[in-house]
Amino acid sequence: MMIAPTDQPGKPVVPVPVSARAPVRRSRTASTGWFLLPAMLLFVFVVLVPSARGVYYAFTDWDGLDPDFSFVGLDNFTDLTRDDDAVQAIWHTLLIALAITVIQNLIGLLLALGVNSAIKSRNLLRVFLFAPAVITQIVTAYLWRNLLGPDGAVNGLLGGVGLESWQQNWLGDPDTALWSVVGVTVWQYAGYSMVIFLAGLQSVPAEIHEAAAIDGAGPVRRFWSVTRPLLTPALTINLMLSSIGGLKLFDQVYALTGGGPGHATDTLSTLIYKDAFTLGEFGYSIALAVVLTLVVAVVSTGQYFMLARNEKAAS
Amino acid sequence: MKTLRAALAATASVTLLAACSGGTEAGDGKDSQTLTLASVDQGSVEDVVKAFEKANPGVKVRYTTSGADQYQQQIRTQLSSGTAPDVMSVWPGNGNPAATHVLAEPGYLRDLSDRPWAAKLPAATKSVAQYDGKTYNALFGQNGIGAVYNQQALTASGLTAPTTWTELLTFCKDAAARKTPAFALGLQDNWVTQIVQYALVATTVYGPDRDFDQKMQAGQATFADSAWSAAMDKYRTMEKEGCFQKNPLGTNYEASQQLAATGKTLGIVQGNWVIALLKEKNPKGTFTLKPLPADDKADDALMPAAAGAGYGVNAKAKNEELALKWVDFVMSPKGMNLYVKKQGGLPTLPDTGYTVDPSLTELSRFITDDRTVPFMDQLWPNAKVQQTMLSGLQEIFSGQAEPKDVLEAMDADYEAGS
Repeated sequence: MMIAPTDQPGKPVVPVPVSARAPVRRSRTASTGWFLLPAMLLFVFVVLVPSARGVYYAFTDWDGLDPDFSFVGLDNFTDLTRDDDAVQAIWHTLLIALAITVIQNLIGLLLALGVNSAIKSRNLLRVFLFAPAVITQIVTAYLWRNLLGPDGAVNGLLGGVGLESWQQNWLGDPDTALWSVVGVTVWQYAGYSMVIFLAGLQSVPAEIHEAAAIDGAGPVRRFWSVTRPLLTPALTINLMLSSIGGLKLFDQVYALTGGGPGHATDTLSTLIYKDAFTLGEFGYSIALAVVLTLVVAVVSTGQYFMLARNEKAAS
Repeated sequence: MKTLRAALAATASVTLLAACSGGTEAGDGKDSQTLTLASVDQGSVEDVVKAFEKANPGVKVRYTTSGADQYQQQIRTQLSSGTAPDVMSVWPGNGNPAATHVLAEPGYLRDLSDRPWAAKLPAATKSVAQYDGKTYNALFGQNGIGAVYNQQALTASGLTAPTTWTELLTFCKDAAARKTPAFALGLQDNWVTQIVQYALVATTVYGPDRDFDQKMQAGQATFADSAWSAAMDKYRTMEKEGCFQKNPLGTNYEASQQLAATGKTLGIVQGNWVIALLKEKNPKGTFTLKPLPADDKADDALMPAAAGAGYGVNAKAKNEELALKWVDFVMSPKGMNLYVKKQGGLPTLPDTGYTVDPSLTELSRFITDDRTVPFMDQLWPNAKVQQTMLSGLQEIFSGQAEPKDVLEAMDADYEAGS
């Protein structure tokens, strides 16, 4: 990665006459600022301000309807720590996010390596593998809800190949329901990760591979020492996207299991929805949303800095 | 990298925003001849709108329809932001986010006590159409819960519909032995879990004590120490004795209809509304609704029956005159019959000249004989009791909880009040 030689901390500052340097900098900053302004205004008034105003309700007992509500301080947050459903949902959310991030990227990477090779009809394969990612989440979820039913195609297939003992009540058994949700999400988005990895793979110059091959490096060694470091930016994006997506997961859970059986697959997002729109406990639900926001922010910021460091080390 | 950082911030904020936004287009009836309406009566309101427009030449009804979950979310947002339509679907009683009590309490509904039909409502219906002694809800149709049998499948099996609890268990065993389980059960959709429970509770709880709700309200009774617990045990007994198809928790409502409609089970325990859906899947089928036996005295059986969602008028309706015309039309014999015929229910008012569908004669008889009790949740103080029961029943069926835990949790939510 190219790093601009100016403004690097620790570098000796070359004295430049103020008059010679200032106009260039000022004009650059000013023009960049003007370009940013419309987007920033939009972001501030459409996202930041309403969100900040929303946070206020986390400290009230608003029911989403009655204009009379009172300020309850931190009550919603203390209730949250005593609410088994909420604690369980936080755990499910983290587990789902971790599982999706690991499995989806692993499969995405393998698929990308596969379709990046010289195999026949690789363009067609790329289209097929990416196709699930362009279907609406709710549609794939309903599709899988039927496929994973007790008499659905998945159990039918297992029975057909003599694996009756593997047949499960996929979505109705608390032991398999959460993993079924993870499976469906990975099925849908592995192709998406694949495309990003593929873009990364294609930006790896063929000459480096050739040079490494001439030096006697085998395919595994070439992947590890040439491809992997150059794939780091793609990996960063993929890990960020899949972990944030996993933390926010709502559609699939809601359509596949509704958070059930019982609360076995409830995530923070489904609980937020239920508390607000089914129970009318908006204050409490927004408190949950604040927690989710913090979890997403902490996890992704941590991840970002860690990956950025790796990226730097790899470049 | 900057875009990534921005995306990160945006994602974080959008998550939060998602929890506090919602709602759809506001109903602004600018024209004095335009009525705005939001309804959950998908599939039936369309015909009523046409008839209403025909009866009132020049009037245009701008309406939206949606499923209950989405509707409840939308209407609350619209009401609190002052953009709700003139007329809207409102559920009877309490215990649901868009129920009469919930919407009337903060003053969002217009008092309809002065309408000609208000005084004529039967006592059981009136109690759930009112808040604080005033009528707010034009409840036009009644529904009942029981065992819906697929007559062709029943005849083919050589079995007859049971009338007592002992007969029911024998019926289940015999049906299971013939590889056509007695009832389809779609527990994956969590609202379905309550239906069998309600059917059993009607007889076991309200049979010996019709005043159970008053006792609950006075704090003299609890779920855990009442026959609710016996009813839950009976529900589990039914499952153990093979009354339902395999894996009810993995089966959704849609799939359960398919089983009952095509005779893979002999019937389904549901509300009368399922009959129209079963007929859609099997137009040649004949389906009849009967009480689900819960004890050994057939004459003591009660059925849960209650008004379905009706219509309330927005207290700040832009076109109040037309809004009142609409509720009066819905409560007129013509409007009411049109609605209930399409929905497959029964009218709430007597003397509408309605011909009861043969599939519902039993329900109609029970209503006439005053052998029905309202759907239990309609008299609960908040929506949480029901939600706790729904997920609790799923937990019981998946071995994550015991009936006692669930009933105690329901008691705790009940005590928390409104």
